[in-house]
Amino acid sequence: MKIFVTGATGYVGNALALKLANDGHSVNVLVRHSSSNNIPVHEGIHVFEGDITNRGTLVRAMHHCEQVYHTAALVKLWSKDKNQFYRVNVEGTENVLAVALQTGVKKLVFTSTCGVFGASLKEPLTEGDPRITAFDNDYEFTKSIAESLVKNYVQNGLSTVIVSLSKVFGPGIETHPISVNQMTKKFIDGKLTFIPKPGTLISNFCFIDDIVRGHLLAMDKGINGEKYILGGANISYTDFFETIRKITSSKARLVEAPKWCAKAFAAMYWVKQRLSGNDLFFTVKGVNHVYCNKAFSSGKAIDHLGYQPTEIKGALEQTINFLKTSKP
Amino acid sequence: MNNNLYTLITGASEGFGRALALECARRGMNLVLVALPGPELHSLSQFIQKNFAVKVIAIEKDLSIAGNCVELFKNVTTLNLKVNILINNAGIGNTHLFSDGSISFYQKQVQLNVMATTLLTRLFLDSLEKNGPSYILNVGSLCSFFFLAKKQVYGATKSFIYFFSKSLRNELAGSNVHVSVICPGGMNTNLSVTMVNKKMSWLSQLAVMNPENVAPIAIDGLLRQKEVIIPGRINKLFLLLNTVIPAYLKKMIANHQMKQLNSMSPANNRTLLQPSFAVTYPANIKPLIN
Repeated sequence: MKIFVTGATGYVGNALALKLANDGHSVNVLVRHSSSNNIPVHEGIHVFEGDITNRGTLVRAMHHCEQVYHTAALVKLWSKDKNQFYRVNVEGTENVLAVALQTGVKKLVFTSTCGVFGASLKEPLTEGDPRITAFDNDYEFTKSIAESLVKNYVQNGLSTVIVSLSKVFGPGIETHPISVNQMTKKFIDGKLTFIPKPGTLISNFCFIDDIVRGHLLAMDKGINGEKYILGGANISYTDFFETIRKITSSKARLVEAPKWCAKAFAAMYWVKQRLSGNDLFFTVKGVNHVYCNKAFSSGKAIDHLGYQPTEIKGALEQTINFLKTSKP
Repeated sequence: MNNNLYTLITGASEGFGRALALECARRGMNLVLVALPGPELHSLSQFIQKNFAVKVIAIEKDLSIAGNCVELFKNVTTLNLKVNILINNAGIGNTHLFSDGSISFYQKQVQLNVMATTLLTRLFLDSLEKNGPSYILNVGSLCSFFFLAKKQVYGATKSFIYFFSKSLRNELAGSNVHVSVICPGGMNTNLSVTMVNKKMSWLSQLAVMNPENVAPIAIDGLLRQKEVIIPGRINKLFLLLNTVIPAYLKKMIANHQMKQLNSMSPANNRTLLQPSFAVTYPANIKPLIN
């Protein structure tokens, strides 16, 4: 089958494109620069240069494709150009949807984020739960608007499914400086590691292999117009790193940093990155996102799609093996 | 907190109403949540029941129809729910030129913002007195102090709320029913309002607050029997400036604002979100507070 994947130079899109090609499909990928080091290489993968913000390039790349996985997004908390979030995450998504409808794509899976749900209270959040705080970063805000666009296109006659990912880790390409993989690597290298105080705050960590499989399941079994959380273990920060310690016997110190420390750090980081003209992956406002529970239930995906999250210890073992053997 | 008492919140499924519902649940209050028919109300009440040890009754009603206000009161009475806090939050906002609005829109807006608040207050007054000490919180707006272009009818309805609340408070002084009015500035209540807020000047953006930060201020003020609640330092400053700056300067600012509004091209002001909200409600009847 001919399948189109956006965001193939990203962490999830890259792994997904390779899996689809390995399964024998013909995969069209759209990349902004054909010189990128992150383009998945496989005989079944066909590279088209273009951009989701340019409809013309989408039409070419989506030609004769039956399925679309739209994983491309601007994933960070801050950008110099604020409109960039809107252009890529909202208008880019609208372009993908419009072209998919126009070229007769049978089904589209949209990769979104649990960040759209926000913080959880006592119980893990499910797909229907309301968001309890306003959006204060442009990434989650624009992803949320994109989700409502995807739902609109269901009315227009396009078959779509949304998958919401939590914090993804596991073997793959590195595209983000503050990823779970990077934190894990630092910790196993014995470096001082900061976690939010109290360390009992819960977060949801999901394994890349599960996420790739979850995308295929959503395409295969996902009900048109529905949204599925693809998560993993709900585990406290302390337990997460102590699990890594058990596997690696890392001697790294784990320090619970109070919120004000994180805010002070974020402010200094802001000055540093702004002076050097770099983008920010962590902001003062973003600190609030870390200092709360973010527990999610994958129950709906498990019941309806047959999604099976890997047990956290096994997933971490595979990740650690990968991190130890991969180049720094 | 007496476990048989209920806080009734209108317009509870989204934005400020939802934040108020969560804040009251956090304080252990049982809730009667009223909102337009739709899944949001039920997902919120389920969410609150899962996470807080309070009772939640969800009632679907379009309060812009006067008969539904009466029905709501009857429902509450039939269920034998003792309401001791009434929060009149449901309202329709607008940010457009007067000539751009339809007759039916303004009718609905006045009906909901003005009439529903009046009717529900009247209907529940006797039982509030019986279940006292009781509290009524009416949601006004900071914009009723400024005569903003594109907010004509909205601002006028909120001026009504302000007058009504202060006047009724005087009338009920010495009784066990305490009336407060909250006048918030701009809030990020839903996706489309947040989008509009992001497009404002930095000064206006500075004043924008998130509902989850305004809600605790509202409930604190209400329980402390404050007459007028103005959340946020910047909003307080705006209000202070409004009383000290001379009229001609205000006129200049208003004129400048009008020019800015006129220069906003429709392309920049694309209401991309409208279709998505139309999925559940017509866009213009989403309860917005601004």
